[in-house]
Amino acid sequence: MIEPFPSSGIDLPSPTLSARLRELGDYLAAPSVGRLTEEQRALALGIARRLIADIAAQLDVGIDAAALWSDWLRGGIPSAQRIAVACFARAEEHRWRGQIAQLGRETPTADDAGAEIAEDAAEAISSDVDRTALALRIADRRRFDGQGNPCIALVDLDADVRRALLLDVAAWQLARSSADVDGAALLGEAVRSAIEAAPNDHGIDHAAAAYRAALGPDIGRASAIAIARHDWPSLIALAAVETQRSYGAMAIALLTAEIASLPALLAPLGLDRRTIAPLEVSLTMLPARAVSGANAGDEPAARLAAFSSVDGLPGDGA
Amino acid sequence: MTTERIVRARIDQSGTLVSADTPLLRLQQRAGGGLDRPLALPQLARLVALAQRLGREVTRPLYAADDHSDIHAIVRILPDDDGANLEISDWRTRPIVDPQRSLAAGAISDPRGWTWECDQQLRLVALRSGSDAPPVPAGWEGRSLSEVFELQPDDDGNFPVLRALARQAHFEGQRVRIATPDARVGMALSGDPVFDGTRRFTGFRGSVAPFEASDEAVVAPATDPAFGSLPLSDPQFGRRIDGALRGPLSRIIATAETISGQFDGPIRADYARYAGDIAHAGRHLLGLVDDLADLQNIERPGFKAARDEIDLGDLARRAVGLLAMKAEEKNIRIDAPRKDDLMPATGEFRRVLQILLNLIGNAIRYSPDHSQIWIRLDREGDRATVTVADQGQGMSAEDQTVVFNKFERLGRTDGGGSGLGLYIARRLALAMDGDLAVDSAPGQGARFTLSLPARDG
Repeated sequence: MIEPFPSSGIDLPSPTLSARLRELGDYLAAPSVGRLTEEQRALALGIARRLIADIAAQLDVGIDAAALWSDWLRGGIPSAQRIAVACFARAEEHRWRGQIAQLGRETPTADDAGAEIAEDAAEAISSDVDRTALALRIADRRRFDGQGNPCIALVDLDADVRRALLLDVAAWQLARSSADVDGAALLGEAVRSAIEAAPNDHGIDHAAAAYRAALGPDIGRASAIAIARHDWPSLIALAAVETQRSYGAMAIALLTAEIASLPALLAPLGLDRRTIAPLEVSLTMLPARAVSGANAGDEPAARLAAFSSVDGLPGDGA
Repeated sequence: MTTERIVRARIDQSGTLVSADTPLLRLQQRAGGGLDRPLALPQLARLVALAQRLGREVTRPLYAADDHSDIHAIVRILPDDDGANLEISDWRTRPIVDPQRSLAAGAISDPRGWTWECDQQLRLVALRSGSDAPPVPAGWEGRSLSEVFELQPDDDGNFPVLRALARQAHFEGQRVRIATPDARVGMALSGDPVFDGTRRFTGFRGSVAPFEASDEAVVAPATDPAFGSLPLSDPQFGRRIDGALRGPLSRIIATAETISGQFDGPIRADYARYAGDIAHAGRHLLGLVDDLADLQNIERPGFKAARDEIDLGDLARRAVGLLAMKAEEKNIRIDAPRKDDLMPATGEFRRVLQILLNLIGNAIRYSPDHSQIWIRLDREGDRATVTVADQGQGMSAEDQTVVFNKFERLGRTDGGGSGLGLYIARRLALAMDGDLAVDSAPGQGARFTLSLPARDG
């Protein structure tokens, strides 16, 4: 008798087939779970590519980032699992923030009360608040490349993930160049200096903490203004500090939260339900959002955030 | 490089719209016009007339409206012998709500350039260099745009970035100088406004591209628009006074229009009205600058008008076409020469048109609603004449002796004119071996007659 299909015991003939069968296996195991859209894939892949290129540039030993990426595209990114959450969080945040541009006038904006809040914000603010708000915006703009594409600023990257990526890139370079002893030593030195040079005082978490400190008791009002203006980076930053999360962890917590759980999630900001309404509507309108919750069979936000803190996102603020 | 769409159009000598890209054509149609018909957009028609009158390129903000939206744009008019080309950029129907738009729209493909972003106070929040660009200066974070870039005025003495800030609009061609470790380099800054979810302006983002060598030579001068030391006869004077006044006035007008239009949100009605008054006064002052520039030109020693073969009938019809909308606003009927009415003469085409626009414009301004204006052609010996008659309040014999004097407004205090229009018109007529005369009596309207050397058709 001839078997209609190859048995599962044979060696798979190609990485492509292997990947597709794995994907199909995952799909058959949970057919009703929403998968990544093409947009989500493309955004996350682009973010990963820019991250790898930045890491290679940081080594400053003339690594051909294009060749590196090409190799890793074929063979897989060594630290894929480590960077997956960070790339996904950044991509989803970018989609969310881009929602207004795509929907134009259809986008929900603040109601009358929200508009009043936003108008009142024109009042004079202290120089500390102004300075730290500007620093937060600068830190946020570091999370885009020169062409406006989303990226992960190296200063925001978790130190362990950064170290792992530096070692992966160095290993690739070593294998590619079949470097002599001197070359290998040079590369090793570059990795060590890059790891030691890790700056952290310009990251978005640092900027968020400074902004929150400058606001003092005005944090609730500032959060309300941020919601009214759809200024999601400021909202994420303030909520992250108040809930002792990293910016990235807070972003993904918000982006995967069930609407009903938003008031609880943002409770430390002291916002009432009406103030949160534009945020609820905005998240509801974001297509293909990966909402956490028991019914969906998905990981709850808390677990995802906890996972992110050890596996890719910058250290949880605790 | 920013790829901004330019709306193009062509106007012929008579002010007729010969061709137009869709957005402008649609607007023209909504305003009751069409192709091969006079421009139905009064402000645009005035600007075209201005450019033709001055015989040089004119770039101005354009404010227009159709039945459902306000339109803001920048129009560049390039006059030539046969009419004018129009290039309209930054066509906006409302402030763009686009807080997260990719920088790519304003980003550069030129690896020798930078990308930048600033907040609403022009403080830099992002600055990145291309692969072959000079490195960005250290410590740029949060510094003012003008600290990092040494802003240079354009040929008209304007700073495009400041004008764009007032209008919260796209800009390009802002020349800057940047100190690098090796040298000071000239670059050009361009940017697009950024708005948040409540349509609040939050800054600009854009690119900085290097100047080409030919552009670089143009960068240097005119940081000081001090025009006081220059004699009136110096051709530089006109350009400098024009540049020195036009920039600030344009900013005042644009800001006042923005407030009046309540683009940043509702304000008290009386404040909006005041802002409208400021804009109106600003436009009046801008008209005065135009007149002064003209005055400076015609009072220059050796000023000569060209001797074109013209038809006063044709020119009168063109002038009427340009001012028809203005007349309609007051329900004034203009009895213009018929198409077959010819009156061959000699004079400079655009200068005669300028005179006729002034005469007919005055007649409309000072005539009562629902009245009539007549335009008649005649020939007296070797003189060809065109007469503009209205049903206004007329003027006394005494007034008629001074009406062509400089800054003479016959006691009027409204914001309608500078008192230079008739003076300039008569000077132009004399420069063409012609004359401009008035015949009037109180309560009987006024008749202004332009006479020029006749020509046998």
